[in-house]
Amino acid sequence: MRPGTRLRLVLRDLGTGAAFTSMAVSGQLPVWTLALFALALVCALAGRRVFAKREKLTALLLLVVAAALGLNVLAGAVNLVVAACAFAGLISAHRLLSAPDSATDGQVHLSGLLMVAGGAALSGELVYGLFLVAFGVLSSMALALGVVEASVPEGEPVPVRQVMRPLATGVAFAVAGAVAFFILFPRLNWNMMGPRASPGLGAASAGFSNTVRLGGTGTIKGNPRIVLRSTLSPDPGKEALDAYWLGRTYDIFDGQEWTSAGPQRRGSTFMVTLRPGSEDLVHQRVELLPAYGARTLVALETPSRLGNAVGQHQAGSRRVGIQEQPGGEVRFTDPALAYTYEAYSRPPGGSGHELKDLPAEEQDALLTIPEDLDPRVAQTAARVLNGEREPLAAAQKLAGWLQRELTYTLELSGDVEDPLANFLFVRKAGHCEHFATALTLMLRTQGIRARLATGFFGGERVDGAYIVRAGDAHAWTHVLVPGRGFVTVDATPPAHRASQSSVLLQRLLSFYEAVEARWRNSVVDYSFRDQMDVARALVRPPQRRGGDDSPSRLPPLRAFGAALVAGMGAYAVWRLLSRFLDRERPHEATRFVDAVEAQLTAARVQRLEGETLEDLDARLTREGHPLSPALTPVTRRYLEARFGGRPLKQGEASQFLGGLKRAISAESRRRAS
Amino acid sequence: MNQPARVLSPVLSPASARSVMERIATQLGRAVQGKEPQTQLVVTCLVSGGHVLLEDVPGVGKTTLAEALARACGLSFARVQFTADLMPADILGAQVFHAQTATFQFRPGPLFRQLVLADELNRAPPRTQSALLEAMAQGQVSLDGATYPLPAPFIVVATQNPVDFSGTYPLPDSQLDRFMVRMSLGHPAPDVEARLLATRGSTPPLDVVETVTGPEEVASLRTLAAELKLDGTVADYVVRLAKATREHGDIERGASTRAVLALGAAARAQALWDSRDFVTPGDVRAVLVPCWAHRVLLRSAVQGVTARDEAAHLLEELARKVPAPR
Repeated sequence: MRPGTRLRLVLRDLGTGAAFTSMAVSGQLPVWTLALFALALVCALAGRRVFAKREKLTALLLLVVAAALGLNVLAGAVNLVVAACAFAGLISAHRLLSAPDSATDGQVHLSGLLMVAGGAALSGELVYGLFLVAFGVLSSMALALGVVEASVPEGEPVPVRQVMRPLATGVAFAVAGAVAFFILFPRLNWNMMGPRASPGLGAASAGFSNTVRLGGTGTIKGNPRIVLRSTLSPDPGKEALDAYWLGRTYDIFDGQEWTSAGPQRRGSTFMVTLRPGSEDLVHQRVELLPAYGARTLVALETPSRLGNAVGQHQAGSRRVGIQEQPGGEVRFTDPALAYTYEAYSRPPGGSGHELKDLPAEEQDALLTIPEDLDPRVAQTAARVLNGEREPLAAAQKLAGWLQRELTYTLELSGDVEDPLANFLFVRKAGHCEHFATALTLMLRTQGIRARLATGFFGGERVDGAYIVRAGDAHAWTHVLVPGRGFVTVDATPPAHRASQSSVLLQRLLSFYEAVEARWRNSVVDYSFRDQMDVARALVRPPQRRGGDDSPSRLPPLRAFGAALVAGMGAYAVWRLLSRFLDRERPHEATRFVDAVEAQLTAARVQRLEGETLEDLDARLTREGHPLSPALTPVTRRYLEARFGGRPLKQGEASQFLGGLKRAISAESRRRAS
Repeated sequence: MNQPARVLSPVLSPASARSVMERIATQLGRAVQGKEPQTQLVVTCLVSGGHVLLEDVPGVGKTTLAEALARACGLSFARVQFTADLMPADILGAQVFHAQTATFQFRPGPLFRQLVLADELNRAPPRTQSALLEAMAQGQVSLDGATYPLPAPFIVVATQNPVDFSGTYPLPDSQLDRFMVRMSLGHPAPDVEARLLATRGSTPPLDVVETVTGPEEVASLRTLAAELKLDGTVADYVVRLAKATREHGDIERGASTRAVLALGAAARAQALWDSRDFVTPGDVRAVLVPCWAHRVLLRSAVQGVTARDEAAHLLEELARKVPAPR
């Protein structure tokens, strides 16, 4: 094998591997196909092309695989698109292991393209993009090396080293050009009919169920995935927010789990359009990321109005309806990858609800305690309160006691008969739901109305917005204070309210999620409208900052920059076009001679270096070549037309070409016989 | 001394011109056997109106070729043996005192012939060389304030020995430039030589040469050649070739503008061999080496035959490299 060939094959195989991986990252391919392909790739990279001798026979294996995939599809285990993608991968694996001739090369590259297309249908996420680029780069290099090899005569070394550098530059230019094309070329969106995997690492939070159950096993609060990003106005300007993001509340506890009373208000769907609210409300523009994985709207305590909801679908963005659920939960009516919406919240200090505002059943529910509640709960509460009857003061006293006496743990207790008693008197450790449940029920035993609230606690400032992680999920207590409504009291020790994962992991993940969000927004969901936004952002007048009232009406600097770039681009295009237009149109006779030479090349007439048709004709005449009698009049007519100022007449060229063709085929017949 | 009237000269078509040229070449071939390319080239040079420099060792038929050309074309002929003591007056002519009329009268020298063979040109001192070369370029002789036109057609065939340089005044490159083509005959093939040996004893070689045309026809051949169409792309090709010689790393001095013009003229005459009325790039390439090999000055120190061979080799390479118009 010639040096260079090996490198080309390695590049080709790696490119194919990248193409397959671009499908595999969707996580939908059957595991055995992954294993088979990986095995084939390793063999191919090691240079062991085991199918090279028995290509036809081993192709039967593909039939077996196809049958297996077909059965899987019939059984409903595998989607048809997934099966097709897997099959493409296995075909390519078979080609990788076959003898590396030029036909096989073409098939390998083609199957790579197919797999990349399959990857686009299965998932459109960041990792896919990386492997797509890898496939493009590696395969282009392999193809280019193939061209170089083909042009080097047999037995001479391929100048790999000299070629690789310009090749890499060329590929880099091509990738840059592709990116520019992607950003600038007007796009149409179309819907992929394939089963898209959920982007990124999948949903991180389980969402908001209709119940909160105490117990369970394992650990919690470790997930640093970002689920929510929000801008606040007025901007508190703090690095870490001490705020509760309310998802929903629960008011009935049966000893094991929390549920909501209140009417089922299904069917009341609203498309709420929000207008600017009053000055004292906090405005939030919230983005729920795909990691959120639920359809519940959250907002800072206490939410006052929610609306302007937009869902991000594969096919673009569109408005979605919202619907109110029991427990004050507001849900989106349609599933989508991600959502944005706006919310107004009252400043902390109370929800403003009065008891009489609530429906009767909810009023009752706020005092209900499970029938089999351990009597020690009420005794403990009475002892701690020591006669304190004022709801807020009582709640704070109890919360303080809980924080002092009990410890926080991330380990779940496991299923026990009475989780609350277990928490308070046996284990004396638990997580936020235990603390909140304990506080709520202790208050209720003392005749103070309270309920459990769930949502998120915290908010970390990133890029002028606040992000909330899956691990920030939290539970706390709402105490109904006459005249102020529900007031938040948190029994969980303050150090354990927000996310508990390691800082390094948080940093890494937030970096990944930022890149992934950028990828989703600027690549996967990048639409014509986004392109317009980019254009608009470039020329938008500067936003007035507070105190900055310069009288300048000049467009911003970046508008000049954009104009400069656009001008340079236009100049480059003009240069290119003018070169193209200035190029002399080939003379009619030149096209004629091109056709003649093509025929001669097809007839395998040997040409010397720099030999024109005129020289060739003279040489063939000298040599007494059998084609020369046919070629001489053609040559003479060409020379007349080209240099003698006697242009070819209509149909003359084809007449001459036909004559030459007949002579060539007669000659080849003669030679064959 | 009057030029023959143009109106009387027969009007030629490219096809009939070719037959005339072939007739001449055939007669030359009878005198100098087995040298078709060279005889054709001499005819080409005659038709294009240029002068020929024959560089060869003695005894290969240089003089015979020149004489045969004069005879075949019916041109008046003079042979001048250039020696170290040859003075300009010896070839141009001189004012001679006429005793009867007591006046000076111009007596024309051997140059006043239609075809002049300047044998061993490089043996004459530079003064004499330049007198000849001036006459070649101007087509006239200036002497003592009077101008005497040379007969038309006027063609000089000069010879020199490229091997033996002792006692010579090598032609400066500027003078070489005035010859349209430089060529060498070389030794004839063995069979030709054997045939010569067998036949030459009986008849002098020039006796077999017949006059097949006249000065008028030669003049009209020249007129026809000069009027051939040279397409702009072909002209551009010639210029690109010249540029390539000027930019070539091994060439000290490339083709001059006179060289470009000469190549065009020679290519025009060459086109007539194919009875065409236009010039093709192939015509240009056919005359490129004889036309230019003596005009380019190489960087290497080689002289004489070796330099010519090297220049020819370089020019052939350029002809392959410079893309011809298609």
